[in-house]
Amino acid sequence: MIEPAVAVLNLTKVFPVPFRRQTVTAVQDLTLSVAAGQIYGLLGPNGSGKSTTLKMILGLVSPTRGTAKIFGRDSRDVASHEAVGFLPESPYFYKYLSGEETLRFYGQLCGLGGKTLERRIAELLGLVGLTSAGGRRLAGYSKGMLQRIGLAQALVQEPSLVILDEPTAGVDPAGAREIRDLILALKQRGITVLLSSHLLSQVQDICDRVGILAGGVLVREGALDELLTIQNQTEFIVEGGPPDLDQRIDRVITECGGQLIEHRRPRTSLECLFLDATQPREKE
Amino acid sequence: MAVRQHTAFSFGRVRALTLNTLTELTRMKVFYVVLIFALILIGGSAFMARMSFQQEFQVLKDIALGAMNIFTSLLAIVATARLLPQDIEDRTVYTILAKPVSRFEYLLGKLAGVLLLLAISVIVMSALFFAVLYLREQSVLSETNRQLAGSPPDQITDAFNAIRASAFNTNLLPGVAIIYMKASLLASLTLFISTFASSNIFTTVVTVCVYFIGHLEATAREFWLQSQGTGGVARLLFAVIALFFPDFQLFNLVDDVVVGTAIPAALFFKTAALGCLYIATYLFLAWAVFYRKEL
Repeated sequence: MIEPAVAVLNLTKVFPVPFRRQTVTAVQDLTLSVAAGQIYGLLGPNGSGKSTTLKMILGLVSPTRGTAKIFGRDSRDVASHEAVGFLPESPYFYKYLSGEETLRFYGQLCGLGGKTLERRIAELLGLVGLTSAGGRRLAGYSKGMLQRIGLAQALVQEPSLVILDEPTAGVDPAGAREIRDLILALKQRGITVLLSSHLLSQVQDICDRVGILAGGVLVREGALDELLTIQNQTEFIVEGGPPDLDQRIDRVITECGGQLIEHRRPRTSLECLFLDATQPREKE
Repeated sequence: MAVRQHTAFSFGRVRALTLNTLTELTRMKVFYVVLIFALILIGGSAFMARMSFQQEFQVLKDIALGAMNIFTSLLAIVATARLLPQDIEDRTVYTILAKPVSRFEYLLGKLAGVLLLLAISVIVMSALFFAVLYLREQSVLSETNRQLAGSPPDQITDAFNAIRASAFNTNLLPGVAIIYMKASLLASLTLFISTFASSNIFTTVVTVCVYFIGHLEATAREFWLQSQGTGGVARLLFAVIALFFPDFQLFNLVDDVVVGTAIPAALFFKTAALGCLYIATYLFLAWAVFYRKEL
């Protein structure tokens, strides 16, 4: 049997409120599984428990109850981290280091060294599009560049699982698109991706499976196609045809006992519109 | 993407953290402290030109070792206090501990980075101090040679020997080593406090308080034992207090060094061993707190 990349069982986290006899339940009885090779999106509004869940999966926070396993190993066991890369939300890496030095530092923490590490650094800087900025200190990096170097450090030891907490937070649409493309490229290389986000359109574009958290409880979970498909409705997108095509289709639907609920022109997404409008201008 | 064989403890990971901490502190320009030390030395030696050579060398040693003591202690507290709170605030600690790095390795790497910084600072300050001492010695020797021109050779040799004995001698080295040991102890104490402190200001203030209590502790203990007797309970109580408030007076051996007295080898090794024991204890306590810390 193939071990899931992430297996979470009845995970619960209760935080005490300092100086008060109160507690806050951040995550309650969470059970989910991420199969190897999938892109899994953990969705939810701010404060829904997404980051706490990811921290428990990484062993940074101890669960009050339940277990979290990475490829079958308890996530509190440091050895399980050999297979994991992590990018926290809005990270500030050491500003006094350059991009190359940052990757060298994280590579050394993973036991890499010598020419293997130097080759890996060059490869990763190329992958995230920072080859020319690799020698510059991070203090001079933009938000998008920091996210990209963060993604590169998460990938330094070629992990089998990458965990990304709000990977596009604070990044402009073009940067967000680049990060999205990088995540899809990871999937093509067989890397499992677990990401949290509240940007639904991005998750919809890339995730195979999603879990929706609200108030620390998993309220929906499943394959994206299954969750989004309205089972008792059918959508046609037609191009060309005679001018009275709409009326004829409507008539056929009525004759067959159905009902035409909506009739509209397809729309593009705001993201596509924005990118179409801004990209040519940047090239000029 | 084969998963590497994990080892519970790796010198390579600790080394990476140590060198990164040293780079962080170096690029924060903490070595300006050494520059201030140099200015004090140069200014002090110019001021002492009118004293007799015995007084001059004694005051020079007093100022240099005193300044070295203060600056290394200050450097140990200020450099260590910000390391953990800053990493937690910036979320950098998440990226490090999400790698196959244990919390003990993380703390050890941070502490070793500060100890390396302190070692470099002490070596540079000592080199500056010995250079100034050597230059003053040469100046006094040359002046004496000029004054005693025509005197019997025995008299000149005796005068030269007296000057050399008052200037640099190897007795200074154990004194410098104990200053380093004291600063290292302060660094590990600061690291321990920073594991449960909420900010670096809190850490700095608490460590400075412990530092002063540690200097007054010996006096208070002697006063108590003289007035209340030396019962077992009192001794146990003082042993517990000594764990949390190290007796820093035990590390003040430079007064003897300044007047030219050698620190007995037994006392030196006992003090060094005590310092190492304190450093190891605080590192262990820091790990015990940090191991359970919710990040």
